[in-house]
Amino acid sequence: MNIKLEKNENNIEKSFFSIFITTFTTIFIAELGDKTQIATLMLSAESGKPIIVFLGSSLALISSSIVGVLIGKWVSKKISPSKFALFTGALMILISIFLAYETFKNYL
Amino acid sequence: MILSLLLSTFLTVFIAELGDKTQLATLTISGTSNKPLAVFLGSSSALVFASLLGALTGGSISSFLPEVVLKSIASITFFIIGIRLFINSFTIEKEEKEEKENN
Repeated sequence: MNIKLEKNENNIEKSFFSIFITTFTTIFIAELGDKTQIATLMLSAESGKPIIVFLGSSLALISSSIVGVLIGKWVSKKISPSKFALFTGALMILISIFLAYETFKNYL
Repeated sequence: MILSLLLSTFLTVFIAELGDKTQLATLTISGTSNKPLAVFLGSSSALVFASLLGALTGGSISSFLPEVVLKSIASITFFIIGIRLFINSFTIEKEEKEEKENN
């Protein structure tokens, strides 16, 4: 029991930074070349006011991550951790298949 | 004028981002970790940084990194996260069962 508690404490201690880095890397990779980035570019070129567009887009992206974090927390309280991992795992694999299809459909 | 541009950009990007893969990934990481603030900071700084990088390079990043490469990397990342979650799901389920038996 003591060993388990210590293990849990260790997890919590190291987790803030490692969770930050994991999240940053994942989201950054997913966002490069995404449609919102393209939308931001088009709006910025069209209006000739890149700073305003950048501000508006940043605020929107920050709000959308708040929404994502809150929904994730809320759903994870409603169902068991193993079910949550199973559902989100399936979701991630679906996104990966969809992305792969979108990327290579021209070569098929 | 400036306010309406700000608002229209906000709405366009916010609506485009709802239910998008980045938001679903944020949702997933948030639900599987106990540090919502770390997830929020990581996710929003990555999004803002990606958007800044896009704005600075003028064209998209795809001018020096082809889209096929970017999307393949993203697809592989999502696949790895998915598989890891499946493995986690089974180990957590085992722990949950053991806990029930102990009680």
